[in-house]
Amino acid sequence: MTATPAAVAPPKNASKVESHRADAELPMAGEPAVPFLEIEALRAREFIPAAKEALTDLIAEQGQSKLIRPVFNWAGRNSLFPLHWGLACCAIEFAAAFGARWDAERFGVVPRSSPRQSDLMIVNGTVTWKVAHKLITLYEQMPEPKWVIAMGNCATGGGPFRTAYSVVPGVDKLVPVDVYIAGCPPRPEAMLDGILLLETLIRERKE
Amino acid sequence: MKPEDLARSLPPVLAPVLLGVEAFPGFAARVRFRREGALDVFRAIHDLGFTHLAMIGGIDWVDHREVIYTVWSDEARTYLLLSTDVPADDPRVESAVPVWPSANWHEREAWELVGITFDHHPDLRHLLTPDGYAFHPLLRSFKIHEPEELEVKTRHV
Amino acid sequence: MSEMWLNMGPQHPMTHGLWNLRVHIDGEVIRDVDPEMGYLHRGIEKLSEDRHYNEVVTLMDRTCYVAGLAWEHLYILASEEALHIAPPERAQYLRVLCEEFQRIASHLMWYAAFVQDIGLMTPFLYGMRDRDLILDLFQSYTGARMTYEYMRVGGVRNDVPPGFTDRARQVLDWLEPRFVEYDQLTLGSDIFHKRCDNLGVLRANDCVTQGVTGPMLRSAGLKRDLRKDRPYAVYDQLDFEVALADTADVTGRYLVRLEEMRQSVRILRQVLDWLDRHPGPVMASQLPRWLGAPYAPVGREGYLLKRNYPKGVGFSAVEEPHGEALAYVVNEGGEHPYRVKFRSPVYANIAAARHYLVGYRVADIPPIMGSVDICVGEVDR
Repeated sequence: MTATPAAVAPPKNASKVESHRADAELPMAGEPAVPFLEIEALRAREFIPAAKEALTDLIAEQGQSKLIRPVFNWAGRNSLFPLHWGLACCAIEFAAAFGARWDAERFGVVPRSSPRQSDLMIVNGTVTWKVAHKLITLYEQMPEPKWVIAMGNCATGGGPFRTAYSVVPGVDKLVPVDVYIAGCPPRPEAMLDGILLLETLIRERKE
Repeated sequence: MKPEDLARSLPPVLAPVLLGVEAFPGFAARVRFRREGALDVFRAIHDLGFTHLAMIGGIDWVDHREVIYTVWSDEARTYLLLSTDVPADDPRVESAVPVWPSANWHEREAWELVGITFDHHPDLRHLLTPDGYAFHPLLRSFKIHEPEELEVKTRHV
Repeated sequence: MSEMWLNMGPQHPMTHGLWNLRVHIDGEVIRDVDPEMGYLHRGIEKLSEDRHYNEVVTLMDRTCYVAGLAWEHLYILASEEALHIAPPERAQYLRVLCEEFQRIASHLMWYAAFVQDIGLMTPFLYGMRDRDLILDLFQSYTGARMTYEYMRVGGVRNDVPPGFTDRARQVLDWLEPRFVEYDQLTLGSDIFHKRCDNLGVLRANDCVTQGVTGPMLRSAGLKRDLRKDRPYAVYDQLDFEVALADTADVTGRYLVRLEEMRQSVRILRQVLDWLDRHPGPVMASQLPRWLGAPYAPVGREGYLLKRNYPKGVGFSAVEEPHGEALAYVVNEGGEHPYRVKFRSPVYANIAAARHYLVGYRVADIPPIMGSVDICVGEVDR
C-alpha cells in the first residue's frame, strides 16, 4: 500500500486494501450472493448510495429475512470490539498489537472498556479460580452475538501453570471458546491471525 | 556490620530470648530468637536503624516451621535476617505490624500460604487465595497434581 | 447517600492488570482504599518446588512479564549462591546488559500505559515503537520477545550473535534523542501538569515505614538503589548516577523513571564496550552434570550424583525496574529447590495505597496508580 498525500483523491483501488485476505473471502455455501458485501472498505459518501441500491435490489429479489444475516455478519466481522482487559503476560502483547508497528485498529478491532459495548472477549492470560466467576459475569454482560478468543497457552489449557492449585486448566471450562491461539505469549501477528480466523467463522455463521 | 558488633549492640535484656547472632551468606548476620520475645527483638532491631522491613516468609520444615524476616538499614546499607521457629501444631508468632507497618500484607500472605498465625495482626484476611480457601498451599504436605478433567463448554450451534 | 464503597476492578482500564481497588468515597473525595489482590495468583512459589533449578527460570519470565530478564537475574543470583556456583565474568556482563535493556523496555511500557491514563493518546504509540526496538534486540539473542528463558545457573544460555553490539549501539543512539521527545510530549503539555503535579504525595518517611521502594522512593528524595548500595553482578565496576527527585508526587516519579532510562543508556554503553574487548565463555566450566541437562539421568548415575548434592541457602537482592526485589532460595540437596520465596516491589507499593490515595479525588486515581507502575504478575506470583 503506498502512502497518498493528504487532501488528494484516494487511490482508485481503495476498496481492495485488504487484498491479503483473499483466502478469507471464499464464498460460503448457503450465503446469498450479495455483491457489495464483498467490498470491505468504502468512503462514507460512496457507501450510502451503494448500500441503498444493493439492499433495494436484494429485498426485491430474495426477501428481507434472508438478507439480514449476511449484512449483519458483514458488519459484525469488520468491527470486532474486544473487551479491554489484561489478565497476564499476553495482555502486553495484546497492547503491543495496538502499537505503531502492528496497528490492530486497521482491522476494525477497537478495545472497549465496558463489556456492554464489546462483542469479543480476548482471554489474554492465566485464568484463576478466583477470577473465574468474574470472567463469567463479564461474558454474560456482553450482548449477543459474542465470541471468545483464548489467547496463549494459559487460556487454552493452563500453560506452564496447569498443575497449579489456583489455575483453571483452560478458559473453555468456563465459557465457550471460538478460536484458540497458541504461543506463550503469541506474537502480535498471531493474535491478528486469530482475529482474522474468527472473521471467517463469523462469515460462515447462519443461525 | 559484623555479627559480633551486632550482638554487642543489642540490649542485654534480650539475652533470654536470643538464640544466636551468626554469620549468614548474603546478610550482615542472622538473628535467631524465641518467639515469646518477638516484639522486643523487633523493637531493638528497629532502633538499631533497620527501619525497612523487606519481606516476611515462612518455611515449612515438616516438624516445625520457620518465620524469616528480612530487614534493611539505610545507614549500614545491609540486610539482616531474623528467624524464629514455631512448632507445627501451634504455629503462632507475635505480629510485627506495631514496629514495621509494612509487615501487614507480608503477614497476611504468610498466614494463608504457610499457615502461620500472627497474633494481634490488625486485619488477618485472605489476600492471594479466595475467601474461605481452606488449604495452606506452601506446606510440604500439600501436593500439586494434574487437574481433573472438566467439561468443556460449547455452543449449541 | 454520599458515602459508599466503589469497586474499581478487576476489569477496569485503570488497573493495568487484574486486581480490584475498593474505594470508600464521600462524594468525590477518597476516604479509604482497600486493594484486593490475588486474581492472578498462579502459585509460582509452589510450582518452583516441583521443578528443576533451570526450569524455574521459565516461571520467572512470567512472574513479571514486563521485566522478565530482571527477575531471571534475581532468581539465578540466589540459586547460584545456594548451589555454590560462580558464573564467568562475561556472563555477568551479559546479565547486566539484559537487565538494563529490560529496565528501559519496562519503563517505556510504563510510559506508554501511563500517558494513556492521563488522557494523552499519542505518546502511547511513541513508547511502544521504541520498546519494540529493544524487544528486537532481545529476540536476536534469546529468540523471544517477552519470555526469554535466557539465564542459566552458572551463566547464560548463549553468547550474543556477531554484530550485536553495533546494532545495540544504533538502538541506543536512536533512543537518546527520543527521551527529549518524550519530555516534550508530556512535560510540555498542560494536561500533564494539571493531572500530575502535587498528586499522590508520599514523603520519604512514609515510604520507609510502608516499605515502598524503587522510583517511588527515589522520587521522595531518598537515595536508595541496590545497584549502588549492595552491588551485585558487576555493577560496582560501572559508572552511573542514581536518579533522584524531591517532589514525591506523580511528576517526580515520571522524572525519576525518565532519568533512569538515561542512566541505563550510560551503563549499556560501558557494558557494550566491555563485551567487545573481552570475548570468553558464558557458562561456568565446572558444572555438575545434572545441572547441565534439564532432566538428570535416573538410575545408577543419578543415585551416585544424588549423594553429592550440595546444600545451602541463597539470597539475592536486585534493583528491578519497579524497585527492590528479593529472592530467598533454600537448597536442601536435590534437583528442585526446597523453598523459593520472592519479595516483589510492587506488592509493597500497592500495600501502601492508603497512604498516597486518601484525600484525593476519584479522578486522580488513574494517574496516581499509573505512576506506581503496576505489574500484577509479580504481586500475586
